[in-house]
Amino acid sequence: MANQRSVVQDAGLAGEQGTAVLARSRRRTLRAQLTAYGFLAPAGILVILFFFIPMLLILFLSITNLSTTNFTTDIVRMLRSDLDIDLVSFRFVTDQPAYIVGFDNFERMFRDEFAPKILFNTLFYVFCTLAFFNVGLALVISLLTTHIDRRAGFFFRALWILPRITSPAVYVLMWRRIIAAAPFGILNQFNELAGRSEVNYYQDHPWVFVILVNGFIGASFGMIIFTSAIESIPKDLLNASLVDGSSVFQRIRYVILPLLRWPLLFVVTYQTLSLLTSFEYILLLTGGGPGLYQTEVWSLTAYNRALNTYFANAQWGYGSAFAVVLVIIGVVMAIVYMRAFRFNELVAEPKIEVL
Amino acid sequence: MQARRILPLLLVTALILSLAPLSAALAQETVTIRIRCKSTPPTEDWRCNNFAEVEEEVEAALGIDLNLVLIQDNAAWGDYKQEFQLSAEAGQAVDIILSGHEDIGAWSAAGFIIPLDDLIPNYPEFEDVVPSLWESMKGPDGKIYGIPQDAEARPMYFSKLLLSDLGWSDEEIEALPERIASGEFTMADLFDVAEQAVEEGVVEEGYGFWHRPVNGGDFLYFYYGMGGEVLDENGALVFDQDAALKVFQMLEEARNRGIMNGSHLGIEWPDWHTTVAPGERVLFAAGGTWFWGDWAVNYVADRGGEEYLWENIGFALIPAMETGRPITLTHPLAYMVSSSSQHPDVAMALIAAITTPEANNRHAIGSAHLGILNAQLESPDYQASEFLAKAHPMLDFTTFLPNHPSWGAWSEAYWTGIEAVESGELTAEAALAVVVDRLQNEVPGITIR
Repeated sequence: MANQRSVVQDAGLAGEQGTAVLARSRRRTLRAQLTAYGFLAPAGILVILFFFIPMLLILFLSITNLSTTNFTTDIVRMLRSDLDIDLVSFRFVTDQPAYIVGFDNFERMFRDEFAPKILFNTLFYVFCTLAFFNVGLALVISLLTTHIDRRAGFFFRALWILPRITSPAVYVLMWRRIIAAAPFGILNQFNELAGRSEVNYYQDHPWVFVILVNGFIGASFGMIIFTSAIESIPKDLLNASLVDGSSVFQRIRYVILPLLRWPLLFVVTYQTLSLLTSFEYILLLTGGGPGLYQTEVWSLTAYNRALNTYFANAQWGYGSAFAVVLVIIGVVMAIVYMRAFRFNELVAEPKIEVL
Repeated sequence: MQARRILPLLLVTALILSLAPLSAALAQETVTIRIRCKSTPPTEDWRCNNFAEVEEEVEAALGIDLNLVLIQDNAAWGDYKQEFQLSAEAGQAVDIILSGHEDIGAWSAAGFIIPLDDLIPNYPEFEDVVPSLWESMKGPDGKIYGIPQDAEARPMYFSKLLLSDLGWSDEEIEALPERIASGEFTMADLFDVAEQAVEEGVVEEGYGFWHRPVNGGDFLYFYYGMGGEVLDENGALVFDQDAALKVFQMLEEARNRGIMNGSHLGIEWPDWHTTVAPGERVLFAAGGTWFWGDWAVNYVADRGGEEYLWENIGFALIPAMETGRPITLTHPLAYMVSSSSQHPDVAMALIAAITTPEANNRHAIGSAHLGILNAQLESPDYQASEFLAKAHPMLDFTTFLPNHPSWGAWSEAYWTGIEAVESGELTAEAALAVVVDRLQNEVPGITIR
């Protein structure tokens, strides 16, 4: 308080000169702010274009019954069809087919007896892929490849990138050939050579392959982040642990892993959210089957309802309701992760020059 | 001096101006027509290629310059239809789309395709179309939205090879189609034979009877065969629980008896055909007439093509079930004109030009599809095809899919039940409950009875 007052007094004493100084510093602050926003703008525009606007659109679609049969692109007509207000009774009246159906889609969704199964599938898929591959295997690969000859490490990491840079359709096609029924499938041909009876992998073990197919791709993301983090650990720390006589495992356990905390949290957060909404590999591999939604995940249901029906009736409104649920889960989880993992600390300026 | 210099310039200008109307008359209007077809190559390629054959003819008749863009591949039906729906939604669909007649229900309601009633009388070619096919081209509003492209029947194929392994004599095998057509040999008999084949090791367990690996129109004939109806007298969708339960029980029994085990579900079409076509692994397989053409060229060509098929594969109607009458299903494909088209009249002229016996025979005979024109059915080329001659009479027993906008949801729900029973996940009764629940949830206004 005292300080502030004295500044004001100083300014008052300095008169015109002080006003000029204040104005200049305000201009400078403004310019600094504008620069900051300028730098934020490209990312901001992208987020607005590809997240906020689509989110508003699906929020709107999810309260409509828009489908192939009552298709229109005229939003005004969709709104007008339901929002005519009777001025005498001051109530909504409808004389056209209504597009706005309120929460009907959500009611239908929760009444769907497979919704719990699909939700459980989603959690199962995200958890297993994340635990075993996107974080688990990624960590193992990066630890292994940083502890062998540098060039060999690079080679193996490059191998693990291959699934990610292969076109999804081609990649899944290869997997489908691998697991196809006898005599077409590669695994079954080995079974035959080994004298074992054929296995219908698609029917009997769909989850194993859904997780493998996604995990082989997902592992490379964490691998890159972890490897770069491990390689940027100052050599002094590693040498110090050697001097102290630590074994390789002790060094990993007590030096490397603690320093990987932030990259680990980042990969967990990022990959949970991206797995939650990813369905393309499942769509191509099993289509959610076999049988009754055995490998169907929530985002695939949203896609199937909204866009993909064999006999040409797409229910955009109903599908959007499924997508809205994903948006809500995604936003909530993002906030929880940021709070629980204290992301503010992650982006704070380092207190010492480590990492 | 000045005048002399300007004079040549004036003359040249005058010349150019006088030529302008002439050149305008010479440069004809260029009309671009984009046409999308789905085809199993090479047998069905005439679906789009026929248009190229008549391009010059139509150019001359209309006095325009045509720029035909033919887009044809073997995309999965689901992807293919989705592609059209999304482009039509954006107002950028192709001018002519070839698709199943049942899409008329949803697409006409959505305004993706235009009614053709006013245009059809302009083209005498359409007068010769087999009248019953027009019925399947009508939308829920009674207007015609498509021009028939081809028709087929969906037979039950059987392996002569495996039947003779089972001890059937050649005479017995040759008499089977006739016994099925007369209603003497029923679906129950078929399952008995299939079970015997599994028990005696003629086929592996699960290979007694196969049907298509993914959802499709075929499954409706089970439901019809059990006495089910899909539309009531007012044209609203209905679901007969009794008929559906019988279908599910029949398939459940087939699974319990080892005739099916879900091995055919979800496999790739080429693997399905490779397994079925040679007649060495699967005893009975429900398919379509066009499989015959596809198999001959793509799957048993190295063993002798169609000749090999005649020797080892037979086909018949789908044997009688509850109703006591054998059955099949016809699913005519139709050329539809999209509402995105700027030149529906040119599109129709093109369709008319290929609705001729010559053009349609090119498609029908090679691909084992049934003809759509009266004159074609009487043409020597068509009659010379042994397969078509034997397959054509199946139309006496045929049924259709309904052109109802909500047909997709109905069909998906019904298929869910079939898949659940065949993969052994649910009992027939539980599957019925799932389907009814799903229909009530997804098809507004459906009558469950």
